[in-house]
Amino acid sequence: MTTLEPPAKPISLAKFQAGDFKSDLKPIWCPGCGDFGVVTAITRALANIGRPPHEIAFVSGIGCSSRIPGYTTAYGFNTVHGRSLPIAQGINLANPELLVLVASGDGDGFSIGGGHVAHVIRRNIDITYIVMDNQIYGLTKGQLSPTSQRGRKTVTSSFGSLEDPVNPLLYVMGYGASYVAQGTPADMAGLARIIEEGIRFPGFAFINVQSPCVTYGQEDQQLKAHKANLQSLESLGHDPADRAKATELARAYGTKLYTGVLYRNPNPPPTYGQGVTERQEALKNKAVPRHEILNRFKPSK
Amino acid sequence: MSEDLIIGIAGSGGDGVISAGESLITAAALEGYHGVMTKSFGSQIRGGEASCRLRLATRPVLNPNGPLDVAVALNWEDFRRFGAELPVEAATIVIYESATGVAPDQLPLPGVKPAVVFSVPITAMAATHAGTDKAKNIVIAGLLAGWFGIGRESMLAGIRKKFAKKGAAVVEGNVRAFQAGLDFAAANPLKEDRKLSAPQSGGLTKLLTDGNDMCAAAAIFAGCTFFGGYPITPSTEIMQFLDREIWTYGGTVLQAEDEIAGIGAVVGASFAGKKAMTATSGPGMSLKTEMLGLASLAELPLVCVNVQRGGPSTGMPTKAEQSDLFQAAFSAHGDCLRPVLAPTSVADIFGVTVEAFNLAEYYQTPVIVLSDQEIAQRKETVDPIDTTKFQIIERRHPSGPELTNYARFKLTESGISPISHPGMLGGNYLAAGIEHNEQGRPTASGELHARMNEKRFNKFNPLKSRRDLFAVEGHPEAPIGMVSWGSVAGVAREALRLAQAEGLQVKLLVPQLLYPVAEPVYQDFFASVQRGLFIEQSYQAQLYRIVRMHVDLPAHVKAFAKSGSNPILPSEILERLREMVVAIQSGQPQSEPVEN
Repeated sequence: MTTLEPPAKPISLAKFQAGDFKSDLKPIWCPGCGDFGVVTAITRALANIGRPPHEIAFVSGIGCSSRIPGYTTAYGFNTVHGRSLPIAQGINLANPELLVLVASGDGDGFSIGGGHVAHVIRRNIDITYIVMDNQIYGLTKGQLSPTSQRGRKTVTSSFGSLEDPVNPLLYVMGYGASYVAQGTPADMAGLARIIEEGIRFPGFAFINVQSPCVTYGQEDQQLKAHKANLQSLESLGHDPADRAKATELARAYGTKLYTGVLYRNPNPPPTYGQGVTERQEALKNKAVPRHEILNRFKPSK
Repeated sequence: MSEDLIIGIAGSGGDGVISAGESLITAAALEGYHGVMTKSFGSQIRGGEASCRLRLATRPVLNPNGPLDVAVALNWEDFRRFGAELPVEAATIVIYESATGVAPDQLPLPGVKPAVVFSVPITAMAATHAGTDKAKNIVIAGLLAGWFGIGRESMLAGIRKKFAKKGAAVVEGNVRAFQAGLDFAAANPLKEDRKLSAPQSGGLTKLLTDGNDMCAAAAIFAGCTFFGGYPITPSTEIMQFLDREIWTYGGTVLQAEDEIAGIGAVVGASFAGKKAMTATSGPGMSLKTEMLGLASLAELPLVCVNVQRGGPSTGMPTKAEQSDLFQAAFSAHGDCLRPVLAPTSVADIFGVTVEAFNLAEYYQTPVIVLSDQEIAQRKETVDPIDTTKFQIIERRHPSGPELTNYARFKLTESGISPISHPGMLGGNYLAAGIEHNEQGRPTASGELHARMNEKRFNKFNPLKSRRDLFAVEGHPEAPIGMVSWGSVAGVAREALRLAQAEGLQVKLLVPQLLYPVAEPVYQDFFASVQRGLFIEQSYQAQLYRIVRMHVDLPAHVKAFAKSGSNPILPSEILERLREMVVAIQSGQPQSEPVEN
C-alpha cells in the first residue's frame, strides 16, 4: 500500500485522461523500445495529477529518451546534451506555478550532464527527474554508457569495458535526494504510481526507469527478463523512510531489480523555489520604481 | 588653474590607495566635476600592490589618458610595478612618502627628472594626527585637496560619514589627518596655481558608479527578472548588484554550479516567459557557446554580457581587451546570427543594455553586450540620465486567433513569430535545439531547414538600418575617418577633439552595434574617406577585419591596434592623423599598415 504525500500543487477540478497528454507525433523509437511504456506511464500519472497540459513544462536533453516531450501535449523543450536540469531549474524558478518534468537517459543524465545532478539535489529544486536507463547509447548506435557494466563489449569497448558503472540510485542518495524511486515499463501500474508520487513530492524527485534498448541491449535487460526478475520494495516490506536501508538496497543496482519507492524523506528540506518566493515577498516593499534605480548611484555627503 | 588633472596613486595593498581615490572622485562628483577612476592591482587577493588613476576635469572626460600630472608614491617598489599604467614625465608633480629614505633628486625613475617633487612624511603625519598610520589615505586626500582644490568641504563631509560608525574620536582623528594634509599643502605652495577651475556644468551633482553596476541597473530598468551566472572576473559585480536589488522586483538571481548551468537557467527562464540575463568573461563565454546556439535556434530572447579581459584562455583577467568580438559574432556552430552591442563608457552601458533587452525580446534572440574590464570596473561621473527617453520593448505574444492551431515558428513576412510560454492556454509547443517546422515539430527536411535559416537571418535585416546605433562625429565630408568602439572610443573621441583644435579635417564613427555589420552605415561613412584608421585594443583588430568581410573599404583604411593592457593614447592617434594629412597632401602612395 503506497501512501501519497499531501499534494504539493493545487489540483485542478478538470478531469483528464492519459490520452489528453499524448501528442499525435509518431515516436522515432524502435518497435519494442522501453520508452513507449515510459511515455504511457507518464501520461497516466499526469491524468491522475490533473494539471492541464499548458501548465506543464517537460524538458529533456539529447538521446532516444529525450524525444519524449514531443510525444506529449505539454509545453516541451528538447534541449542540448546533458543540460536539461539547468534549463528546467530556470523554468521552475522563473515560474514556480508550473509543473516541471525532466526526462533524460543514462548518458545524458550521468555522463555529459552528471555534474548538474548534485546541484539540483542540494537546492531541492521542485522538479521530477525521470532517467530512462538502458545501459547503452542507443541514438548513436550502441556505444558504452556510464551505466554499462564492467567488461561489456560495445562498438567503443570492443575488448570489454575497463570501468565500473555509475550507480544512479547511490549517486542521488549520496547527494541527499529526498525522493528516490525505480521502476520498469514491465510493471506499468507501478511505474505510473512512482511517477505520480514523484510529481506530488514537494521537491526534487528522482525516478530511475530501467527502460530496455531492444536494439543494442542485452537479453537479460529486456522487459521479459524484468518481468521475471523484478522485486517490488513494497513486497519486501521496505520502509521508504529508512535511509540506511534504502542506501543498502541501492547498492544492489545492476544485480537486482528493485521497484517502487526506495527513499522518501519524511522531513524534506524546503525547496529552493519556496525560499525564492519568501525572499521576494519579504523584500517587495523595499522596491524603488524601476525608473528610479539610478538614484542608487547618487553620491551622498 | 587646471581644467584637467590626472593623478596616479600607488602603494601596497593595505595603504588605502583605492579608498583615497574614491574619496576624491566622490567629492568631485558632488561638486559637479567630471571624472574617471581606474584601479589596478597585483594578482594577490589581499596585500600586494594597488594603484588608482584618477582623472578629474571641468568638462567631460572620455578616458583615463596617459602621463600623470600628479604622481603619489607610498613606496617606490609598488609604484614602479605599474610601469606604463602610471607614466611619470618631467612635468609630473611627484609626491612621495619621505620614510622611503629616497632623496628628492634621486627618485628611482630611470630617465625622468621631475621638476616638482615633494617628500612628505605621510605615515608620520597620519600617526601624529589620527593616532594610526591607517589614516595615510586621508593625509593623501588632504594633500591633494589642498594643492588641487578638490572639493574640500565635500571631502570633509565624506570623512565624517565614512567614519561615523567608529565613533567621534575616530572621526575627529581623521578630520585632523585631512587638515594636516591641507596645512602641509598650504605651507608648501606650488609655484604655479594648479587648482581645478569651476566645473563647466555649474556644480550640478553627478551620478558616480562603474560599468558593471550601471549594466545591472539598466537590466532592472529594462524589466529583467532573472539572472543566472557564475562568478568570473571582471564581470561578477553585475551578479552582485542584481542579487542586492532584483528580489524586490519579484526576480531571482541564481549563482549556478558552472557557466553552462548559468546560461542554461537563463534559457529556461526565458522559455518560461521572463526577461533574463547572464554575464561572464572570456572563458565563461567559451563554455556558454552551445547554449547561445540553442537560444538562436529555439528563438528565445536573452542578454549575455561579456566583460572582456585579455585572452585567450585565462589570459589577463584584470586587464581590458577587445579581443572577443570574433567569438561574440561567430561562436556556436551552424549558420547563426546574433546581435552584438558594445558600450563606450559607464554612462553608455545604460542605454546599450536596455537596447540589448529590447533587441532580444523583439527579435527573439540572444544578444551579446561586449563590455570590457575598463568600463566595467572604472568609476565614472555620469550626468543624470532621463530614463523616460528610453522605450521598453516586450516580446510579441500570440493573440487569441493566433492561439488557434498555434504555430510557434510561423513563417511571417518579418520573420518574427508570436511567442507563447508555459502557462498560456493554447500556446503549447515543442521548443527544441533540433530543426523544426512552423509548429515546432522536428524535421530533417532540407527545404524546411533552408526556409527556417532564411527566417532566422532575415528577421535581423531592419537592424542594419538602425543609424541611431552609430555616432558620427566631426566633419561629415572629412577625408580622414576613424572607427573605434568600446572603451577605446573614448580615446578616439579625445583624439578627434585634439585634431579639430589643430584644424585637421577628421571624422569618427563609433558603432554601438558591432554585428551584424550595418553595411550602409560604413559605406556612407567611408564615401568621403581617403585615409582611415580602425582603433582597437586587440592584436588582430577584430572589428576592422569583420567590417572588411562585409564592406569594400578604401585601400588606405588601416588598423591601429594594440594588445590589451597597452594603453592607446590620444596623442598617439593624433600623431597618425597628422601623418595621414601629410600623406593626402603629398599624394603619397599607400602607407604601411600600422597594425600592432
